[in-house]
This record gives sequence, C-alpha cells and structure tokens, in this order.
Amino acid sequence: MLATANEPTIDDYPIEAPPESGAGEWACPVSFPVIEDESITARLVAEVTRLAPWSAETRATRGRTLFGVTGASPDQVEVLARALGKLAEQGNLHQPPEVGIDWKFDMPLLVRHIADDLRTFYHEAIAAQPGPGAPNHDALNNWIFGGTALGDALQAVAVHLSADANPMSKLVRGLLIPEGYFQGGSAFPNSPAFGENNPETGD
Amino acid sequence: MVRLTDLHEAEATHMRARANAMTPVDPAPWISPKPLAEAKIAIVSTAGLHRRSDVPFTPGAVDYRLLPGDVDFADVVVSHISTNFDRSAFQQDPNIWFPLDRLREMAADGEIGGVSKWHYCFMGAQPNHQALEAAGEEVGRLLAADSVDVALMVPV
Repeated sequence: MLATANEPTIDDYPIEAPPESGAGEWACPVSFPVIEDESITARLVAEVTRLAPWSAETRATRGRTLFGVTGASPDQVEVLARALGKLAEQGNLHQPPEVGIDWKFDMPLLVRHIADDLRTFYHEAIAAQPGPGAPNHDALNNWIFGGTALGDALQAVAVHLSADANPMSKLVRGLLIPEGYFQGGSAFPNSPAFGENNPETGD
Repeated sequence: MVRLTDLHEAEATHMRARANAMTPVDPAPWISPKPLAEAKIAIVSTAGLHRRSDVPFTPGAVDYRLLPGDVDFADVVVSHISTNFDRSAFQQDPNIWFPLDRLREMAADGEIGGVSKWHYCFMGAQPNHQALEAAGEEVGRLLAADSVDVALMVPV
C-alpha cells in the first residue's frame, strides 16, 4: 500500500487470525484444593507457592518477566498475594497496603495493577507447565475466575470497589475483571453517565 | 484482523458507541513516502509500554514514554489499564505489540532503510483522542528531527 497509495488510504488487512485449536478446553495440571475454613489470603499464598517454581522456570527460559509494574520485584510475589488477600478480606481501598513494596500507583488504581502483576505471575507459571497448547483468553479467564483463590480475591475486591463512593473505585472495578466474569454485572452498564467517565475503549 | 464480533457483546457495544461518538479528523496533506528500502522506521504504540524506571501510565494519560531502539524487553512492562484483552501472547513474544526485532531483521535484510534510535508509547483506551493532539505533534517533531520517514502505528 505504501508503494501504490497516492492519498490517505484505509485498507482491511485481509489475513484473519488463525483459529485456536482445542485451547479453549485447556485445564491447568496443577490443582488447588479448597479448604472451606481457610482465608482468601491463606489460599492465595498457597497458590503462589505452588506456582512459583513454574513461574521461575518461564522467567529463566524467556530471560524476562512482565511482572513488576506495581513496583514489586519477582521475589515479592507472596508479599503481593498477601496484599491482595488483605484488600479482599478487609476492603480498605483508601490506603495502599503497607507490605514493604514501593508502590508505583495510588489507591484505588493500585488494585488494578496488583491484579495485573498476579495474573502475569499465574500466566507465566502455566506457560512452563507440560501439556498441549497454550490456553486462549476464555480458557485463562475460566481458570482464574472458576478455580483459583486469585479469582475469588478479585471478585471480593470488585464487590468492595462497587460499594465505594469514590467514582475512581467504580472505574477500577470495570478494569479489574474481564467482561463476562464479574459476578456482580457488566463493566459497561447501560448508563450514559458511566460511559462519559469510562476510558475503557480498548483501542 | 480482530473484529468486534470477536469481543464480548458488552465490550463490542461499548466500542461501537465510542466510535460513533468520535469526532472525524481531517486528512493531513499527502506526502509520497520514500521506498521502504530507504526509509528509517519508528514504532508508535498505544500499548502502554514503558521501561521499569519510567513513571507508569494512568487512565486517560495524554503523555508518552520513550523506548530506545536498543531496549532490552526484560526492562519493559505494561501499565495499560484494559483487562479485556489477553496479554499472554505479549508475555510470550513482545514483538506481538512492539515488533522491534522484526524491524531489526528487516533492516539487516535490506527490506527497510533503518530503525529509529527512539520509539514512542502512549496509553491506549483513550476516550478523547483530541486530547492527544499536543503530544502527538510533539512526537511528530521528534520523529522528524530524528530523520524518521515512516511511523509504524501499532494500536493495542
């Protein structure tokens, strides 16, 4: 197109993304037994402990990690898990958790990026595990929100955000859990007022 | 290419509404580009990428971050706020969102003239594209000063 166009031009890219074969049926080979009387924090810490060797393997293989946008270092994943667990259990959205991490975001936006760092850790862990193919977006979300303490913690934090009077908390709620997975409804409620404040266009 | 029908229905409806609300932008004067084999190329991304030492992006941010042409992907993180898009492919290969290695290979093969010393990242999910005008023009001046011929825009 660069060689032939003589005016501003928009062309459809003719190549469609290839279908994902079987990735939607993916299941994590590592299971996390749920013990009813355990706190979210305890379950979360147990999960990251179980996944840590796999995540370390992926970091070593790739020579990099996307973990750490919050300011946490890779050896602080358990600290980060405890911070999210505390937020889920106590719902304090106005003070950043004091856990020894030099946070790069203010509350409540920090919550969004704690979720991101932990999801990155989980994704990097399953990338190293044996098994056929990589899971697609839906399979990943079905796993996170259907069978992990991380998903349960994010659901609990989302409820706290929904109940908070700060408009920024409502916005962060919409950015915390992928559409279709929040048990409390859509990130895009049918409200013009919400739309005016919501930068989630995903361009 | 990704289509609205690939997205969750609520997300697709929201994005249609956003697109309908956007103000049309007049076309800029047409400039015939150099042949690619002679062109220096820079990447301009809206993936919210930056170096670990940079101040991260916040929702609706209208500023930008620099990524040097010799950046090590181990030093790059993402503070894009969208949670509706799968990041695992980017975790696997950063070139998915920021195809710097591909440009280096194309330069080595003579398919393009060269790779810019600097590349630029913005925050995506920007509801008011007019708010980006000042920063966009500034980046344009920087690209021109660096003798960049082509900006490869990578919307994420």
